[in-house]
Amino acid sequence: MTLFRRAVLTAAAAVVLGSAAQPVPAAAEERVVRIGLVAPLTGDQAYIGQGCLNGARMAVEDANVRGPVFGQARLELVPLDDQHNPTQAVLAANKLVADPTVIGVVGHFNSSCTKAASAIYHEGRMVQVTPASTNPEISRQGFDTFFRVCATDDVQAPAAARYAYGRLGARRAAIIDDQTTYGKGLADQFEKTFKDLGGEVLRRDGITQGEKDFAPLLTRIKVLKPELVFYGGVYPELALLLKQSRKLGLKTQWMGGDGIYEASLIQLAGPDVAEGLYATMLGVDPKTLPSAADFVKRYEARHGEIGSFSTYAYDAANVIIEAARRAGAPDRQAVLSEVRATKDHSGILGPVNFDENGDVVGRSVGIYRVADGKFRFLEEAGS
Amino acid sequence: MSDAQVAAALLAQQLINGLTIGLVYALIALGYTMVYGVIQLINFAHGEVFMLGAYLALTAVWLLTAWLGAPPAILLLCGMFALSVVGCALTGRLIERVAYRPLRGSPKLTALITSIGVSFFLQNAVMLLYGSREQSVPEVLPMVSWEVGGVSVSGMQLLILAVSAAMMVGLDRFVRRTRTGKAMRACAENTEAASLMGISPDAVIRNTFMLGSGLAAVGGMLFAMNYGSVSFHDGYLAGLKAFTAAVFGGIGSIPGAMIGGILLGVFEGLAAGYLSSEWKDVFAFGLLVCVLIFRPSGILGENLPEKV
Repeated sequence: MTLFRRAVLTAAAAVVLGSAAQPVPAAAEERVVRIGLVAPLTGDQAYIGQGCLNGARMAVEDANVRGPVFGQARLELVPLDDQHNPTQAVLAANKLVADPTVIGVVGHFNSSCTKAASAIYHEGRMVQVTPASTNPEISRQGFDTFFRVCATDDVQAPAAARYAYGRLGARRAAIIDDQTTYGKGLADQFEKTFKDLGGEVLRRDGITQGEKDFAPLLTRIKVLKPELVFYGGVYPELALLLKQSRKLGLKTQWMGGDGIYEASLIQLAGPDVAEGLYATMLGVDPKTLPSAADFVKRYEARHGEIGSFSTYAYDAANVIIEAARRAGAPDRQAVLSEVRATKDHSGILGPVNFDENGDVVGRSVGIYRVADGKFRFLEEAGS
Repeated sequence: MSDAQVAAALLAQQLINGLTIGLVYALIALGYTMVYGVIQLINFAHGEVFMLGAYLALTAVWLLTAWLGAPPAILLLCGMFALSVVGCALTGRLIERVAYRPLRGSPKLTALITSIGVSFFLQNAVMLLYGSREQSVPEVLPMVSWEVGGVSVSGMQLLILAVSAAMMVGLDRFVRRTRTGKAMRACAENTEAASLMGISPDAVIRNTFMLGSGLAAVGGMLFAMNYGSVSFHDGYLAGLKAFTAAVFGGIGSIPGAMIGGILLGVFEGLAAGYLSSEWKDVFAFGLLVCVLIFRPSGILGENLPEKV
C-alpha cells in the first residue's frame, strides 16, 4: 500500500514539476527562440496593453511565415503582464532575463515600468525596444540596451504647448498629472514651454491612479476659469475628470498626450463629453500611411479596431527580429549589436534609425481632436 | 460676485462634494460595523461585496435594455436596485455560510485572514466574469445639474442623498422596531445571554450579513451611477475608506458608521480641495492612524479593549 502510494505521489510530483519547468527541446529541430512582450495586460489599462500584444504577436507570426530565424528555430512570443506597476515590471524583467531562450523584449508600455525594468535588461545584456514609453529620461540613463520606436515627450509636450498657445489662443492654463514618470514628465515639459511662450499656469495638481472622485480638485480649478486644462496621464482617469467637470459646470478646453489617445476613452467618458478634446499623438494616423495599410487591414480583420500602439509594437518586434536574422545566432549580445546597427529598417510607420541614446530619429507628433466620437487628425507638429 | 462670495460658494461646493462621497462611504461602513457588532470580525471582503453591487447594477441595465430596448429610467432604477441588493444579500449570506461559519469559535485572527482571502476570491471572480477592462455604465438619469449662486448640484447628488437617507432611516427603524432588529441588537450586546433568551445567534449573524451586504450593494449602485464606470478593483480603496469611516465613527455603532462616513467624505474633500489633491488618501488614512492612537473607540463607540 505504501509502495503504491509512493508511486502515485512520485508520478504526481513528476507531472507537476514537468508542467512548471520550461519545455526542454527534445531535438535540435524543435528549437525555440523567444521574444518577450511586457505591457499592462490586465487592469484598467488592459485595452491599450492588449493592442500592443496583438501587434507584437502578428510580427512574430509573420516572421515564422517568412522562415526560421536561425537554423530551424521557431520564434515565440512570451507575453507578460506588468499591470502598469513598476514592481511587477521588474519581476517580469527578471523572469525574461533568467530565461536563456529569450533574445529581446518589446516593452514596456508605461514609462515608469520601462524605466524600472531597463536596469534589469541592461544587466542581463538583453535588448529592450519600447513601443510606447515617451519619457525622455529613460534613454538618458546610459543603458546601451535601451531603444524606442516612438517620439519622446521632448517633442510631444512642446508641440502641445505651442498648439494650445498659438492655435487655440490659450493664455491661462491649469495642469493636472497622474504622478507617474510619464504623466509628470509630460506635464513638466508642457508647463515649461507654455510659460516660455508667455502663458500663465494657474494651478499645478496631481491625482492618484485608480482614484475615482476628482470633484474637490475640479471645484478649485473651476473658480480660476482656466482657458485650458492640460492632463499628463493615461485615459482611465481622464474619462472621470471629463465627466465630473461636466457635472460641476467647469467649461474649458481639455488637452492631453499620447496616453489619452485611445478609443475606449471616448467610450468611457461618452462621445458627448469627450467632444472637442485635444490630444497629441506620436506621428500621423497609421490608417493614412500606405506602408501600414496591409498591417491595419489584417489586424482589424482579426482583432477589430486597431490599438493606438499596435503599429508601434509591430515595428518594435520587427526591429528585434530583423536584428536577430542578421546576427545569425540566438546570442543576446550579437542581437543587441545588430539592433544598434539598424539602418533604415523599413517599419510600417516609416524608416527606423536610432540615435546614440537609442531613440528613434525623425519622428514627429500629430495634433488630434475628438469630433463625432472619434479622434480626428488635425495637423502635424514638427520637432 | 465678491471674493468673499466666491470663497463661500467654493466652500459650499466642497462640502456638497464631500457629503456625496461620504454618504456612499457611510452605506458601506454600516456593513463593517454591524458585522463587527455581532461577531467582532472585520470583514475585509465587504469592499468586494460593494464592488459586486456596482457590477450587478450594471448587469441589470444591460439585461433590461436588451429585453425592452429603452425602458423608462424609473424601471431601470428599480431593476438595478433589486438585482444588486438581492444578489449581494445572497452573496453575503453565502460568504458567511461557506467562509466564516466553519470558523466560528476559532481565533479571531483566522476569520480575519479568511476575509482577506474571500476578498481576493471575489475580486478575481468578477475580473474573470466581466473582464479586466473598466466597464462604462450607461447614463440612467439625464445628466442634469442646477447652479445656485456659483454652487452646482447634480441630479445624481440629490439621488444619492435621498436614497442613502432613506436607507439609513429605514435601517434605524428596522433595528429598533422589528423582532429581527431587536435580536441583532441583543446579540451585539451579549450573544450568550441572547441565546439563553431563545434567540438563535446563527440566524442573527446570517441576517446581519445579508443586511450589511444589501446596504453595500446600494452604495455600489450609486457609486456606479455617479462615476459612470466600474472596475473590479474599485472595492479595494472604497472598502478601506469605509473601514476608516467605521473606525472613525466607532466600530460596532450604527449611528457612528453613518456619521463617520459623512465626516470622512467631507474631511477628505476639504483636504483634497484646499490642501493637496495628491495627498487625498494620505489625509484619509492619516485620520485612521490618529483615531486608532488617540481615540480607538471612535466618536460614538464604547470603549472596547479589543484587538483586531
